Amino acid sequence: MSPIKIDHDCARAGALALVPLVCKVTEISEETPDVKAFRVSTLEGKRPFESQPGQTAMLSVIPSGECMFCISAQGDDYLEFTVKRVGYVTEQLHALSVGATVGLRGPYGNAFPYDELKGKDVLFVGGGIGLAPLRALLTYLLDHRADYGRIDLVYSGSTPDDLIFLHDIKNVWSQVPDVHTHVSIYRPCEGWEGEVCYTAPFLKDLKLPQENRAVVLCGGPSLFRTCKEMLLGLGFAAEDIITTLEMKMKCGIGKCGRCNVGSRYICLDGPVFTLSELADLPGSEH
Amino acid sequence: MTQAIEAALRKRAQELLASGEVAQVIAWGSGRLTKQTAPLFVTTPEQADTIVFNDYCVNALAKYAFTERDAGKLAVCVRGCEARGINRLIADKQIEREQVYLLGIPCQGMKDRLSDEPLAKCVACTHRNPVIYDELLASEVTVPVVPVPQSAAERFAEVKEIEAYTREERLALYNDAFDRCIRCYACREGCPVCTCRECFVDQSDVGWQGKQGNTDENRYYNLVRVFHIGDRCIECGECERVCPMGLPLMTLNRKWIKDLDELFAAGEAGLTEELDNALGHYDVHDVEEFM
Amino acid sequence: MLLKNDRLPELLQSLSAEQRVYVPSNTSNTSAGVSRFALYGTGVEPDFELVNTTMPPKDLLFPQTQKMYRYGFDTEGLPFINAQHDGDEVLLFGIRSCDARSIECMDDVFLTKGFVDEFYQTRREKLITVALGCSHVAETCFCDSMGLDANRAPSADVQLTAVSDGYEVHAQTEKGTTALEAWRPFLTETAAPEASPSVPNVQCTLKVDMTGIKEKLDLMFDHPLWDEISKKCITCGTCTYVCPTCHCFDISQENKMNAGERFRCWDSCMFSAYTEMAGNHNPRAEKMPRVRQRFMHKLCFFEDRYGKSLCVGCGRCVEKCPVALDITMLIDQIGALELGAAGQPGATESVTEGGSHVAH
Repeated sequence: MSPIKIDHDCARAGALALVPLVCKVTEISEETPDVKAFRVSTLEGKRPFESQPGQTAMLSVIPSGECMFCISAQGDDYLEFTVKRVGYVTEQLHALSVGATVGLRGPYGNAFPYDELKGKDVLFVGGGIGLAPLRALLTYLLDHRADYGRIDLVYSGSTPDDLIFLHDIKNVWSQVPDVHTHVSIYRPCEGWEGEVCYTAPFLKDLKLPQENRAVVLCGGPSLFRTCKEMLLGLGFAAEDIITTLEMKMKCGIGKCGRCNVGSRYICLDGPVFTLSELADLPGSEH
Repeated sequence: MTQAIEAALRKRAQELLASGEVAQVIAWGSGRLTKQTAPLFVTTPEQADTIVFNDYCVNALAKYAFTERDAGKLAVCVRGCEARGINRLIADKQIEREQVYLLGIPCQGMKDRLSDEPLAKCVACTHRNPVIYDELLASEVTVPVVPVPQSAAERFAEVKEIEAYTREERLALYNDAFDRCIRCYACREGCPVCTCRECFVDQSDVGWQGKQGNTDENRYYNLVRVFHIGDRCIECGECERVCPMGLPLMTLNRKWIKDLDELFAAGEAGLTEELDNALGHYDVHDVEEFM
Repeated sequence: MLLKNDRLPELLQSLSAEQRVYVPSNTSNTSAGVSRFALYGTGVEPDFELVNTTMPPKDLLFPQTQKMYRYGFDTEGLPFINAQHDGDEVLLFGIRSCDARSIECMDDVFLTKGFVDEFYQTRREKLITVALGCSHVAETCFCDSMGLDANRAPSADVQLTAVSDGYEVHAQTEKGTTALEAWRPFLTETAAPEASPSVPNVQCTLKVDMTGIKEKLDLMFDHPLWDEISKKCITCGTCTYVCPTCHCFDISQENKMNAGERFRCWDSCMFSAYTEMAGNHNPRAEKMPRVRQRFMHKLCFFEDRYGKSLCVGCGRCVEKCPVALDITMLIDQIGALELGAAGQPGATESVTEGGSHVAH
């Protein structure tokens, strides 16, 4: 199997650099008590720009500030952002109603290597809000189902309230042929009848062979560390494990400096890297 | 005198490290440029001979007792300025007295390496001998080379001069200073009293401090800094020394200190390990002229 | 062409009628030793003997605070976001080789690698640089160790070289040639350059040996040297703000009623808040990783990305660091290291994974 190549040359013609486009929120759905999905369109009701799965954009809550989010879905006339309420700006964002004016600039960064994954089995491993960036790739693969092999999603969270896209997992994704979803929570909880298990042992129990299988991994620090160790221990190669990084970002275009790691800027050259690429970046290991 | 102190410092640093009494000695070493010194952190007895003490040890070391507080027991060189800083850190419960072994150094004041003139902070210094120590490395300074300010009138002479300005003159003077401020926060970082876990400047969610570098925001930062430390300021003058833009920060500090002195007979801060700052406690006899 | 000393004031006077002319000057009479490039005009006396100004000229291209756009609602209640472009033509008169090189570094950052920074570009296109060869050096200057020539700045539009009775003037770019048209009345034709006795080329007294430093740093991410040198750092932003090449910025906003403006402003990798994310995770919360980031960026990472050092040897940080955390001493220390197992690349700093949905 040839190693997966990820494009890090991310100068995309036509992307908005620093000045956002005036947009509006057209739909808000509540995923969990602290996660909402926001659909954003231009004032004319069009999709602000086209993006590829894995790319990000800078969303402005106009008086409060800007934040970089992954684009978790795109439709013909919208981009969707799935946002957990964690800090000041996300709190302001959660307070918005449909019709609110926001600013948007992007798309930024590289994309998941969806072409490189053609013909392969793909294992998605996500934790909590970490499913948001995976969603764009997962739905792309499902839209092009014939091009890809078996698809597995291993997804977990501390409690049922930390699991997003449960409706899609149960009623949409798992209904597609040869798509297998495996959902767990970490602590027993009344009303939960599914698995109770940490992600790494859950992964092990699935006994998925590593041949011709790529892994796409995204979750919090401890999930990332334990799953990485588990996957490498199971014989997966670091170059077949793909992840997407998070750093504080302000400009999104590789200038302002804060997401600099080694010679890379995560906003511009990333956020998507394979684990073997990360091993070459000083200080990016977990 | 400095040579004898240097020898004593090296000897005691060597002994304290060799015996394991302390994990680290915080002193001064030499810099690259002529007459330049820099803070030095000695962790092995062999390094003790790199300690330097001369007329150009301009860095005040007290803040390092705070930043290195998790690095085991520290021996810290304390002159008058550092000693008062250590007292403040203890009073503010930032360090424990037992965490530090204090090598007391009587001090005749330091000089600027380029001009060879006494540092402004040393001219204004009122305590040429450390006010707290575990051992004293030389006999106390009894005849200061640089005269010590003797009275409040002397200590606050510069403040009084500026108080006599018209409002417009004062505004012009300080706007000129605040215009120069680049908000590097060296004054905060060098200050032994600035020990908040999260500075108001960094509470961006609350938004006290705008990030703009302009006269208004710079004024706001500088004045709030003074208000925050004012009644605890030990007048070590390190803020003014570290300022790369030459802002007259000690004049601002002393204005506040003078007001506190007049209102509450506050006296000098950092002379004991007790929490004695005027705004740190309430007294029924306190003036309430603002009520 | 020769610009005689006695014609210089007239030249500056004349040029400043047409464009904004910035000259090295002491900007404050209340405090000695604080200088910057100031707008030539009333009350601003140029001082061409200043080897390096306290503040670098970077703020002319990359102001400490720069408005980017205004937002709000127009009279019909429709939301708007309007970019604000400022920038008159600016003549930067009398920069040194180090500062000229620093503009090359900033050009790399702001104008290459995919995105052109429009706010920088607007100012850059309107900037004309007039470099002045150094007739003496400061004790902190070490530009020649960084591969620069104190006497000549190849990327400047115009180069001035001090000669006995004034300056030899050479246009080095098309912009420079055009600019010199306006200078003509103040210049004297000279015979061959040899005819006027040139001031001898100056050399820096502070030297460092950069041989192998980058290669060693490639292996030194986890080296204990970083712990050792970072102890004395007080994590102020002085080094980054007086540095002519440090270009990190933050983006923030100021609101009044329903309108506001978003601006960018200098930020510093020395500050903890610089990398702190929503939810309080911070990959560089501690002092050591921040100190390491600054020096690695200067001497290693930037070279990987742009093929040149981000340190130009101007010596401002050496002069202004309040605790004498001296980059030239660090370079010496690195040079003296025998790298063994400790030089293994590896990792202690963590970047969190997880998409960017909780950024703040």
